[in-house]
Amino acid sequence: MHEFLAQLANGISLGGIYALIALGYTMVYGIIGLINFAHGDVYTLGSFFALTILTALGVSGELHGVALVADVAIALIGAALLCGIVGVLIERLAYRRLRNAPRLAPLITAIGISFILENVMQIWKGPAPVSFPAVVPNPSVMVAGVAIGAQQFLLVGSAVVMMVALQLFIHNTRLGRAMRATAEDRDAAQLMGININKTIMLTFLIGSALAGVAGFVSGVYYQSTWFFNGFGAGLKAFTAAVLGGIGNIAGAMLGGFLIGIIESFATWKFGGQWSNVTVFAILILVLVFRPSGLLGEAVYERA
Amino acid sequence: MRISAALLIVLLSACSGANNASTSKNTTTTTTAVTAAPSPAPPGQVMKIGIDLPLSGGDASVGISTEQGALLAIDQAQKNMPHGFTLQSEALDDAVQGVHNPEQGASNVRSFISDSAVLAVVGPYNSNVARAEIPVTNAAGLAQIGPSVVADNLTIGPEAAQLRRANPSMNTFFRVCTIDSRQGSALAQFARSLGFKRAYIIDDNETYGLDLADRFEKDFAADGGTVLARDHLAKNTQDFKSLLLKVLAAKPDVVFFGGVTSTGGGLIRKQMFSVGLGKTAYMGGDGLADLATVAAGQADGSYYTLAAPNAMKLPAAQAFVKAYRAKYNADIGPYSANAYAAAQVAANAIIRAIDSSRGAIPARAAVVTNVASTKLETPIGPISFDKFGDVTNPVLSLYGFKNGQPYFIKQIQLKL
Repeated sequence: MHEFLAQLANGISLGGIYALIALGYTMVYGIIGLINFAHGDVYTLGSFFALTILTALGVSGELHGVALVADVAIALIGAALLCGIVGVLIERLAYRRLRNAPRLAPLITAIGISFILENVMQIWKGPAPVSFPAVVPNPSVMVAGVAIGAQQFLLVGSAVVMMVALQLFIHNTRLGRAMRATAEDRDAAQLMGININKTIMLTFLIGSALAGVAGFVSGVYYQSTWFFNGFGAGLKAFTAAVLGGIGNIAGAMLGGFLIGIIESFATWKFGGQWSNVTVFAILILVLVFRPSGLLGEAVYERA
Repeated sequence: MRISAALLIVLLSACSGANNASTSKNTTTTTTAVTAAPSPAPPGQVMKIGIDLPLSGGDASVGISTEQGALLAIDQAQKNMPHGFTLQSEALDDAVQGVHNPEQGASNVRSFISDSAVLAVVGPYNSNVARAEIPVTNAAGLAQIGPSVVADNLTIGPEAAQLRRANPSMNTFFRVCTIDSRQGSALAQFARSLGFKRAYIIDDNETYGLDLADRFEKDFAADGGTVLARDHLAKNTQDFKSLLLKVLAAKPDVVFFGGVTSTGGGLIRKQMFSVGLGKTAYMGGDGLADLATVAAGQADGSYYTLAAPNAMKLPAAQAFVKAYRAKYNADIGPYSANAYAAAQVAANAIIRAIDSSRGAIPARAAVVTNVASTKLETPIGPISFDKFGDVTNPVLSLYGFKNGQPYFIKQIQLKL
């Protein structure tokens, strides 16, 4: 029982990262029907930006008090903002002109951007994993006999907060309404006076900023980052988005946590080499019986 | 050793970069005339040892110090040559555009073969070059002695048999270094000597890591230890915590990792601390030599081996270390002592072959036979070969981490 709970807690933390990344996949797919394969690498880029900012601030270990709040805020907002800008640039350079091209074309440019980002990051920080300072202290709380660290709460908490904020934004603001309208019918939205380009840019900005947040929290949680992390994490987050019902925000969240928990339990029960097999076998089973994903019905609500 | 080599490469690449372009094809034929004989020997009595190593570009920093070790041995062997015989060296560069190149290596070896004075070859430095060269020297029946190539499958198993296809009954390739998988045995012996009883074994599911972990598992159990479980890593993940929670529940004395730092070796050590395994020892092969690049703060309590002795620390090597410094005005490189031993083996075999050929230049086959029956004291210990061409008394060196820095612990003379 104790080990079960420990694995569950670990799976939820892992799932929190997948969920944050999955939000970006699902938003972009929802609005322009594109699978943005570069998104996983934007997540890695987020941890690289955060690491660079923390290094520039002279942070190398745990922080406390005012310094903790200030430096974490600077690194977190900085990483999110820079990732958002990168996301907007990617959309502008690689996707916008292809918006009415055959669907294969933007898919290929997405893969191209992904390779470019990976290789630029490899040149930037080298081919080996790099250390990330454990900025946030990690005192643990006992929950039902399992020690859960503050970083795990931070990770899961930020994922949930982001999702709630996103839901509120999309359903309660003019910009959010514009995004929903664009998702539903781009031409009609344009005829109603919505600036499509700006709306799509905003979607990329928010989605990529969330990946930046994920990059920061995963850097703190694992105390390391690697140029190639985004490949595996991006693939699983994309899987999470599809599992939950792509285009659906709550679905991305649910899918992310499910994938994290399944992966953790599969490693525990079947061994590490079977974790990916289990995750993707379950994905196939779910999609065969529910092609639109677990929460896929709510298509009209997609962002 | 690979670490220090890498550092040297960084330092030297600036110098070597400049003349790369011009010398990459120019095989530096430094026919060092080691003529100690008072009068020039008659042409029929000149014998050569060929040296094939990467001597330009990124590998040059280690290649040249390796070459110098071999040259020193050939130089010193001159005084033991029977009267009227001269031993020379001929070095060829197997780097093309700054990178060691299997095709260039094979072509160098062919040029040695076409020179009837060449009776043995020392080299190459890299395992993939050896893979291209062994079939060539095997077909020609020319003895080849590798100073530093550690891949198991050059001498053992079906892949090695493929390399010897031309002449299966005659093994012509020997090496003075030990082989990768023996690190597993050395680590198992060391783990037991530290009193570890319960080991949890993880590998990265790649060739190097699997072989290493297999050998450790077998030897640790044979030596009275308990292997709690064996697990493999998934690819493309940065989360090893669920695996490590499992390890935690098994309560091991030591976690063994078969693999390299970048395939998970670094992150596992790091994440051991976050699940509460920070006080448990951690071990692996030379793939963990750069553990501190990923887990600097968590490296203490970890151990790794290198598949070579630390010649600077070997008592038997001190005379060699001095002679090398006197001749080249520099400290030995990571494989200088190995190359010295390899050339010593070659020269010694040639001298014994001359004895039995009654004063004529010996046949290449006779040199091969004499290399195979080598029993020689060298700076890296006594050398003799098994039927695969591997040393029968491998010496490895063991390292640990203190304050995030590797430190030398001891040499391990492996009991086979």
